[in-house]
Amino acid sequence: MRESRLGRGAALARLALRIGGRYAARSPQLIFASVERRGELRHELALRTADDVVEELGSMKGALMKLGQMASYIDEDMPQTFRSAMGRLQHHAPPMSPELASSVVEDELGAPPEQIFSRWDPLPFAAASIGQVHKAITADGRAVAVKVQYPGIARTIVSDVQNVALLRRVTAAAFPGLDTRSLIDELGERLREEVDYLLEAENQTLFAAYYEGHPVIHVPHVVSELSTARVLTSELVAGSRFDEVLLWSQHERNLAAETINRFVSRSLYRIHAFNGDPHPGNYLFHGGGRVTFLDFGLTKHFSDQDLAPLIDAVRFLVVENDPDGFRASLERAGFLRPGAPVSTEAVVDRFGVFYSTVLRDEPMTLTPAYASAIVRRFFDARGPLAPYSDVPRAYVILQRINLGLYALLGSLHATANWRRISEEFWPFLNGPPSTPTGEAEARWEKSRNGQEQSFDRTA
Amino acid sequence: MQPLARAYEHSVPEHPIDGGLFGPGSVVWRVHRDRSFPLAAIRSLMVQALHPLAMAGVAQHSTWQRDPFGRLAATAGYVLTVTYGDTAAAEGAAARVRAVHTHVRGTDPVTGLAYRAEDPELLLWVHAGMVDSIVQVVQRYGRSLGPADADRYVAEMTRFAEILGVPADRIPASVAALREYLESVDLRQITPAASEAIAIVLDPPGLDAPTRDLWHDLGQVAVGTLPAWARSMYGFAEPPAELMQRDPVRQLIGALDFAFESLPGVIEARERIELRTRT
Repeated sequence: MRESRLGRGAALARLALRIGGRYAARSPQLIFASVERRGELRHELALRTADDVVEELGSMKGALMKLGQMASYIDEDMPQTFRSAMGRLQHHAPPMSPELASSVVEDELGAPPEQIFSRWDPLPFAAASIGQVHKAITADGRAVAVKVQYPGIARTIVSDVQNVALLRRVTAAAFPGLDTRSLIDELGERLREEVDYLLEAENQTLFAAYYEGHPVIHVPHVVSELSTARVLTSELVAGSRFDEVLLWSQHERNLAAETINRFVSRSLYRIHAFNGDPHPGNYLFHGGGRVTFLDFGLTKHFSDQDLAPLIDAVRFLVVENDPDGFRASLERAGFLRPGAPVSTEAVVDRFGVFYSTVLRDEPMTLTPAYASAIVRRFFDARGPLAPYSDVPRAYVILQRINLGLYALLGSLHATANWRRISEEFWPFLNGPPSTPTGEAEARWEKSRNGQEQSFDRTA
Repeated sequence: MQPLARAYEHSVPEHPIDGGLFGPGSVVWRVHRDRSFPLAAIRSLMVQALHPLAMAGVAQHSTWQRDPFGRLAATAGYVLTVTYGDTAAAEGAAARVRAVHTHVRGTDPVTGLAYRAEDPELLLWVHAGMVDSIVQVVQRYGRSLGPADADRYVAEMTRFAEILGVPADRIPASVAALREYLESVDLRQITPAASEAIAIVLDPPGLDAPTRDLWHDLGQVAVGTLPAWARSMYGFAEPPAELMQRDPVRQLIGALDFAFESLPGVIEARERIELRTRT
């Protein structure tokens, strides 16, 4: 993934020309000033030592925050106290002191950040789940975002997620009625991956390479020579945050929602990968439907075998109107125990809810109420199918993204013909472009033909 | 846990007039916000209950069995107010406790001895049981507390006993002196009242099944930190060594503390303490 400096510079220049500075400001100095979210961080409470970090985020706290975040997407009945706890703890997570952050950079990159970078902002501008993000300008003048991991967090998190017995008890207390076994297994695996920024860099590079030149989807490039297991340096991008977008015109919101939807479908069907964290903070918006996707710490790769039954399920239910075929593919995927004594109607009723946005060929508006209704019905642990259904481990993160996505699109009150957009990506249809964005994508896809490569990482 | 959270919220003042009895630079301030405190609390109760007169006073004058967490919250509120409140708040809280103590007197059915809660010997026993438990638990499962700081902590805490009426020269001022004192009290013994009380502490009513499991584990760890004499009086077996290891115990404490911090006011109170210790 390492490119020559010249090659990367040229690629960036091409990118800058093509997008006309829509993502990256023309002057790194300008962008340096424009990304400003410092007010939210409690610098007066900064963590000053690795011991502070372990006290604050070790001993299960970091792991439980992550678990709660994952579970909050899938459990309507999550007790209100726990839900507000999540928000409170995330809001209150203190940053590292400048000295502590600097010492991590020095340990990882071999010299203090003031020497590595031509400019280094000692105060972070954003929090990350197990670290924080600093602005900097590289020696060759690129504005970058440097994610710095809390020291000692990797060891404590790995140890915490090994204590499965305790995690099960805690989740059983917090989410009565929810089968959290596969969730905990998946959480353990994801967190173990998340602490390794090299893996994230690899995933982000994969996405950035695939989406290079895409008309509305942007993934910041990783600066690999300044990235390690604990420090991740990537192109700094300025844009509007999700809560600002909520104030934009409905037309703009529809375009933004369409792009997020396209990103998810395209990534799943073309790269066989999902960026697993539909947290509103992981997007930057630029107007005209252009969206930058941040944070690839929770990326999941799918094999052909993982995807085949899901593709079958949508084909049988939505296109071929074959409930028995639908049921059989759910059984193949492991969502439903084969031979469960329940009617196929009940199966369609329960699982079909996930496909309700693509059932009909017509525009449809997503609302928060709609999103939470889907979540509630899908994860009804007390329904008649509950004893026979489960979320297989391979799909836990997929569910999470899907449900998080519904919530996100719901709060945008987005309207689109989701069916037509989805048809563009369903491999058994490969439908024609259905919107102006779709047409722009088609042109992009055509222009990148020939440089197509295999993105199936699990093969 | 709500009563405990409210105690926390109300005991750490937003606008204190002064640094209180100990001050932000004290070891007491640092130790009393350790997350291992629930464990120290359970161990304290187990040690304190082994003085028949102290136990009789509680058994005959308190309705704590009906609301153990409410009672625990009241005690926690007292400890936190005396620690982090300003001097007036600390002295006010102590005066209220002393006023209540004047009514607590009677005869212990087991030993046949008369007791009064104002008795400095009983107050000293209760104090020593608490301070020793905090030192043991925090040293083993909390943030770093070296031998010198542990001694400093015990010495600072003599003030804590003084304001309830224990003469200063009777209060042990080092970890070793504290242990020596505890083992010198001849009346130590298990009584039916103590067995009954500790059974409730280890299995309090009103917990849902998973929380009860977590609490049972915590109780087991507390048993494992008891001095041998106390454990044998209760007839508790020594818990398996793997249960007592630092990492899993800290994870257990962390999980409970996570739930505790989620309650309104707790994080804010902790931040008030943290900010004051930094300036």
